Amino acid sequence: MTKTVWAWVWFGFLLALDIAIPWYVLTSVEKMSAAFMFWTIWVLAAIASAFFIFLKWREVKS
Amino acid sequence: MSATSWVWFGIAVYIAAGLGIAFMARRQLGAGVSEFFLANRKLGGFISALTYSATTYSAFMMIGLAGLTYLSGVGALGFELTYLCGMFMMVFFLPRFWLVGKKYGYVSPMELLSDRYQNRGVGATAAILALVFLVPYGAVQLMGVGYLVNGVSGGAIAVGWGIVIAAVCAIAWSSIAGLRSVAWTDAFQAIIMITVSAAVLGVVINALGGFGSFFDRLESAVPGLLTVPTSKGSWNLNMFIGLALPWLFFLISNPQVSQRLFIPKSVTAMKQMLGGFLIFGFIYTMISVLWGFSARLLVPGLENADLATPTMLALPIIPTGLAIVVMIGITAAAISTIDSILLTLSSVWARDIHKGLINRQVSERRELRVGQWVIPIMAVIAFVFAWWAAGLYPFEQAGDVFDRMIAPLSSAASAGLLMAVPTIFGAFFWKRGTALGAMVSMITGAIIVLIFQVTGERPLGWWPGVWGFVVCVPLFVIVSLATKPPREKAEEFIGYLKGALKKGRFI
Repeated sequence: MTKTVWAWVWFGFLLALDIAIPWYVLTSVEKMSAAFMFWTIWVLAAIASAFFIFLKWREVKS
Repeated sequence: MSATSWVWFGIAVYIAAGLGIAFMARRQLGAGVSEFFLANRKLGGFISALTYSATTYSAFMMIGLAGLTYLSGVGALGFELTYLCGMFMMVFFLPRFWLVGKKYGYVSPMELLSDRYQNRGVGATAAILALVFLVPYGAVQLMGVGYLVNGVSGGAIAVGWGIVIAAVCAIAWSSIAGLRSVAWTDAFQAIIMITVSAAVLGVVINALGGFGSFFDRLESAVPGLLTVPTSKGSWNLNMFIGLALPWLFFLISNPQVSQRLFIPKSVTAMKQMLGGFLIFGFIYTMISVLWGFSARLLVPGLENADLATPTMLALPIIPTGLAIVVMIGITAAAISTIDSILLTLSSVWARDIHKGLINRQVSERRELRVGQWVIPIMAVIAFVFAWWAAGLYPFEQAGDVFDRMIAPLSSAASAGLLMAVPTIFGAFFWKRGTALGAMVSMITGAIIVLIFQVTGERPLGWWPGVWGFVVCVPLFVIVSLATKPPREKAEEFIGYLKGALKKGRFI
């Protein structure tokens, strides 16, 4: 698979977690360490992976 | 000084600072359409990041999102962070928009669609979609400023004054030097937004005994708000997907932000813009949600959750001066969104409606003049909507019309604009996409969203945006497969991108 396809697959995986964990795994845990913490860490993972990709970009001559 | 005097003083300082910055930006203003609407594609990374942030985040954050958290809990965090996760798609779209913008000289995202599909009707359809959905959205921002000023001044300053001030500032910021004045005032406003909201949250968390005590109190006082769905039924999956789906694609569906993808001066500036926005967005989202949770502890039992922020600002634990500055910060968030919408809609009108459909031979000078005239016209339309929606003279009896028309349109803004997403994906990733497929999918999807929004119908419990999307995606594919694509342009456009993406190590 190309890097582009891998990136789309990773994004799809993140979206699947977005639903699966809060609604099916943590649905009855009434703690800040449950859905609140999951979404915080989850989005930081998404942000970190975006940084991982775009920090490799380099200047192009127009 | 009385609270009212403080509010007027704060507004005067804000306007003076904004005007000063806008006129400083005007010194760098050159000639031409690209210069006025895109700052000649020469903005640095820092300003690009802040203007993107200020344009994206409106008064919704510290009022609407805080209210949503107050009412329905942690699901509001998931919904807003899903938008931020969607920004991951910038790694695909930012370099693509930027590269083709530079190569073909596109001024608006709609012009890109017209050229890629070789049909001006595609851009015009997307332009009309933006006009229909974004003007009422802008009107609601104006109203937000009106209610905020009214609330913080204890009712001494009329709602109408707030609407007038917001509209005049938005016209000024966008007219003085086009994107240069918008971007510079946005940067100023973004800094105000994030610093004052962080400061006031710090005061409140401190009053609650620090983060540890705050979290403990939340778990004991409102445990039901820490899960999805909540015990009262909020944030079931249909609600979450209905709200989150349009926002997931906000970065490409909303032209006032996708137009920003044309403006960085270099790849380094692009990286700074994206990185800066992701950090800003994360911090501002966390602040807004924690603010909403703290309101739930400090001012429980409000009938209208949107009043959580004005009620909090009136608490004795928040010094009056800080409350005024926070009000200015929220006002800045609203105005920085409206001025960007005005500027984008004026460019869309000038380039995609006037030049695209009405007068194809129009000179650049005349096109720019048309765009500049459209800014106050759009502002006046949004102003009338806001005045109407607020039930002010001569629209005292208009509440019913508001309920039937303006409120659905504004809340459907992102859902309606979502219908352009298959067309935008097709432009970059699918050579087989056609103009007819694009137009049919956008128009049909938008009609479905409007019908379901106005009637309140939700078959299978799905929200209007979801229904529109479920219909418009297959429509785009099926109609495209049944019609003839612009093969030569598609090969050239996507072929160019393939080579250029490789050179910059983009994906």
